[in-house]
Amino acid sequence: MRLPRIFGKKRGHRRTGSQAWGSFGDGIFHGLLVVAGLVFGGLLISGVAVPEWRINHDYVATRCRVLGVGLVKRTVEDPPGVRSTTWRPSVRVGYEAGGRRREAWSRSRPATGTADRAAAVARLAAWEAGSEVTGWYDPSDPDVVVLERGYNWWMWLLALLLPGALLSFGGAGLVRAVRRWGRSEEAIAAASRYADLLVPLSHAPRPAPDHPGVPACDDMVNSPGTILRYRLPIESPENWTLLGMGLFAVLWNAVLVVLALGAGLDFMGGKIDWLLLFLLVPFVAVGGIGIAMFVRRLVLATVVGTTQLEISDHPLRPGAAYDVLLAQGGAGLLRKLELSLELEEQATFRQGTDTRSERVVVWRRPIQTWSDVQLAPGTRFEVRAGVTIPPAAMHSFGSEHNAVRWQFVVRGTPARWPPFQRVFPVVVFPGAPAALSRHGGLQEATP
Amino acid sequence: MSQGQDLQRQDPQRTDLELQFDRSDRRYEPGAGLTVRYRILAPGEEQIRAIEHSIAWYTEGKGEEDLGVHFFERLADRKSLAAVRSGLSFSAQLPPSPLSYEGLIVKIRWCARVRIFFSGGRDFVSEHVFDLGAIPPAWQPQEAAS
Repeated sequence: MRLPRIFGKKRGHRRTGSQAWGSFGDGIFHGLLVVAGLVFGGLLISGVAVPEWRINHDYVATRCRVLGVGLVKRTVEDPPGVRSTTWRPSVRVGYEAGGRRREAWSRSRPATGTADRAAAVARLAAWEAGSEVTGWYDPSDPDVVVLERGYNWWMWLLALLLPGALLSFGGAGLVRAVRRWGRSEEAIAAASRYADLLVPLSHAPRPAPDHPGVPACDDMVNSPGTILRYRLPIESPENWTLLGMGLFAVLWNAVLVVLALGAGLDFMGGKIDWLLLFLLVPFVAVGGIGIAMFVRRLVLATVVGTTQLEISDHPLRPGAAYDVLLAQGGAGLLRKLELSLELEEQATFRQGTDTRSERVVVWRRPIQTWSDVQLAPGTRFEVRAGVTIPPAAMHSFGSEHNAVRWQFVVRGTPARWPPFQRVFPVVVFPGAPAALSRHGGLQEATP
Repeated sequence: MSQGQDLQRQDPQRTDLELQFDRSDRRYEPGAGLTVRYRILAPGEEQIRAIEHSIAWYTEGKGEEDLGVHFFERLADRKSLAAVRSGLSFSAQLPPSPLSYEGLIVKIRWCARVRIFFSGGRDFVSEHVFDLGAIPPAWQPQEAAS
């Protein structure tokens, strides 16, 4: 037996990493996650969950007499150089356990500690010296006694969630690596029945029934049109940009307000932190620019009315003719409004640690263009047009990293605002085999 | 659209394989049947442990490669492996999609692959491209933007 090669030749002059070594590294990484999950889970279970469970189930109840009260001081240095102190109430009790009288300081849960010493002292008032309270002692070590029982729900949540996430993520990756080890890429791809469960981050679009590689269009035919059969969903990456800008503006300025409040309180207390004030200047500038850009985007997104596109049937077929209805709302003058059909290729690739996408429009056919469209509030500019999909057109295609997409594109040029573009994706299914062989190609298709 | 040449992994022991499609032009209609016959001309000195037949599509171009396997079978029994020198064949009915496509940054290719696993641990793959459908290559008209 020989070791797998680090590099395997793929095709042409292109070299890729060895699949065997890739699976090995993948397995090691996910195996480490599983180990971390087990260790972390074990620590939480043994250090928190089991002791707490034992207190509530195994400890024996007894009557305790309060002999005295005190505070447990705990100082930790984390990070180095930074010390923090917590105070925890503790009660000295006398009780009967294991056939003899005992005295001990009661144990309390770590979560009962507080950095506020006065608050800890105030809690001691609950125990009056000389009074009798119920306590529970450990039958295996009767010197350990507690005066409180119960569960820290967040600690249990922590004990379940964090190790659970590590174990499930690492376990799925480990199973995937084991399944791939020593198998060819064809065998892995062929046995992808439960692959989606093991590859949660896979972005392959759901294929249409009986049409591998063709994206499903269920979510494109669930909205009926007002005149034609379907209203097409709009693809609006601008809205995500708007949302991102809004979030940035809100979060940045929230931080700014907190810093400004701190500086203002210092100022009112007669203390001026010049460094903080100096740092606030660029922060204010960035916050202002963020708000201005968001408002500008918001105005641009809302000033042009909504665009709707309806189609007589969906999915589309090569060689078939369809009616489309364009409806443009809003107010003001549009110098130009254009509806076109486009075929776009999209490729996603990795460049270093970045994942990039590139889009290229490989075919475009204008359907109709309108000039000087006067829009009036309360009414829509509606126009109907016919479109024929070229008989030898490529069908829509979508895989994890590559796509061939058909789309209607509406481009408008308002008189007083920047041009806008709105995209309405459609799905084109493959044509009948005979149609494919009869026609020469996209360039020979008649509109 | 066929590349006209097939890929065979560099093989130090010069394993050689001859493969024929049942259509000489290697062009198939969606839904049509496809039969591939092949024989190993020079299997080398190592013993064959298993053979995998597959009919698959893969993407080429600017994006990461995606692979879809339409037909797959693995032969590991002695009877099948003994027949490898005299020739083996496999058949499948092709699906309606995805069709072969020669785009600008996305290309879809169909291929028949024979992968041979030797007892020493190495494997040898022979890939033979064919066309599914007759989609013409994409072209970029003047008004198209990139």
